[in-house]
Amino acid sequence: MDQINHAVLENREQNKAMARILTVLSSFASDRPEFGISELSQHLGMTKNMVYRAIKTLVEQDYVMRDPTGQRFQLGFRVLELQNVTSPEPTFRTLCAPAMQQIHELTGETVSLTVRALDYSVFIDGIETRKPGVWRLQIGALRPLHANSTGHVFLAFAGDGAVTDYVARHGNEAASAGEAMDAAAMVQDIAIIRQRGYATSVRAGMLPMVSLAFPIWDAEHNLHGVISVGGPKGRFEPALDGLLPRIIGIVETLCQRTRLYSANAAGSEITL
Amino acid sequence: MKTLKRAAINSSAQHVFDVLRTVSDAAEPPGVSDIGRRLGLTGSTVFRALTTLEASGYVSRFRNLPRFELGTMPYLLNRALLNRFEINLASRPFLRELAQETGETVSLNARLGWYSLRLSGVYGSRDIYHRDRLGELGFLHHALPGRAILAFLTDADLAGMAGFLADRASEWPGDAAWTEMRERLKGAENTGFLAEPLTMSPGFCAIGMPVRDETGAAIASITINGPVFPSGKIGGLLAVRDRLEALILADPQRFISPFAHLPPERILLKVPRRKAVP
Repeated sequence: MDQINHAVLENREQNKAMARILTVLSSFASDRPEFGISELSQHLGMTKNMVYRAIKTLVEQDYVMRDPTGQRFQLGFRVLELQNVTSPEPTFRTLCAPAMQQIHELTGETVSLTVRALDYSVFIDGIETRKPGVWRLQIGALRPLHANSTGHVFLAFAGDGAVTDYVARHGNEAASAGEAMDAAAMVQDIAIIRQRGYATSVRAGMLPMVSLAFPIWDAEHNLHGVISVGGPKGRFEPALDGLLPRIIGIVETLCQRTRLYSANAAGSEITL
Repeated sequence: MKTLKRAAINSSAQHVFDVLRTVSDAAEPPGVSDIGRRLGLTGSTVFRALTTLEASGYVSRFRNLPRFELGTMPYLLNRALLNRFEINLASRPFLRELAQETGETVSLNARLGWYSLRLSGVYGSRDIYHRDRLGELGFLHHALPGRAILAFLTDADLAGMAGFLADRASEWPGDAAWTEMRERLKGAENTGFLAEPLTMSPGFCAIGMPVRDETGAAIASITINGPVFPSGKIGGLLAVRDRLEALILADPQRFISPFAHLPPERILLKVPRRKAVP
């Protein structure tokens, strides 16, 4: 019996050690080129000894190697063997899905993923809240960029002159459709988004809603899309101060991965 | 014949990496027993390894079946490695310009030891296009992108590569084929590019242009995989490549490969089987 227990415990320890090795390797799947042992230890919440042992195994396998200075560690060439031509590469949606799930679990509110299509934002994925007062998600729905904070995020990071050009293209058209565009307010909102790095908005109505919208960056400082989270003001706003740093942390971790791909005008590298 | 040899690690870690590599190499998503048979491991050892790999995103279930394919993480690691080559992002504007000019797929391959590694691809405007997989690896002599690099290596480098391949008998194309290929590549020294016939577009060629450093040795190549030659456009296409080379010459340190500190023979990789020399 003791022998069996010992074997079970040993297996469990080996699995934990292996999970740590894979976690250390996963840290290199980011736009940061190299790490030191202390940085990894701090970043992953592991002791330096644990990190060192994991790195040693990964170096032996050529998945990680010392950089030319010998002091830091970088990805090894052997990760190139880990690919299969029959397996699909991650899509923008599959990359964002875990982060959206984390934000949903953290806030309990509706989370959506949006991309830009010309002068519109398009919902391509989302998780609706199970609480009352649902911000309805309509996959495929188009919204003019001036109509909400998600659209403002796209305009905010589209380069100088993007807002002026947008107003020149759509100012009259929006007014005639009954969607008055307040260009001055939009410019002010966009300036705040640029400074803060994300958008916040309150939508008035019978059930006032509060939302946050975060840019999801690519490898060339362009946007892949926007992740938004929102809910009824009375419920979501009081919790925001505590939640915001954690949501920002989740989005930053996601962007370390989305920054590995380009979303350029000639066609995104990554499939939607 | 030399084989890949790496230091021993503890058996549990070794099993997990072996299972990962088996999933990666499989033609079809394998199940627990397929992997066990292939590696000579028990079902429970394979199952434990797959559970650990799945929890970390290295493998995932294939269509909810008890079969496994690579997960997201290996692809992210691949991308992270490709982005470590400074020339990858720096070349994008030039690749886009070429794709716009020709309407064809334009790829950038870097030299990695004796291998060619596809770093980047930009698609042109044509409905029917050549889809290249990023991260694709091959020996330099296997395909046009690598041959465009090989044509601009020194005689000493070529001798080093021949020795490397000869040590791996199955990779050596044979003395006659190697000599014939070297003769063919010599023509590129005068034109500054390689043109090779496209089997699916009779009468047309794909072209490969070396991207050289300050010593004149190729560190990468740009390939245009479409019927672009003969077309009269070649001068304009080479001029775009020349501008990329000028960018490299202005700051050569920036564009040194992240693996340049390793001797080429230290870089050992398993590449998909293919015909050695066309």
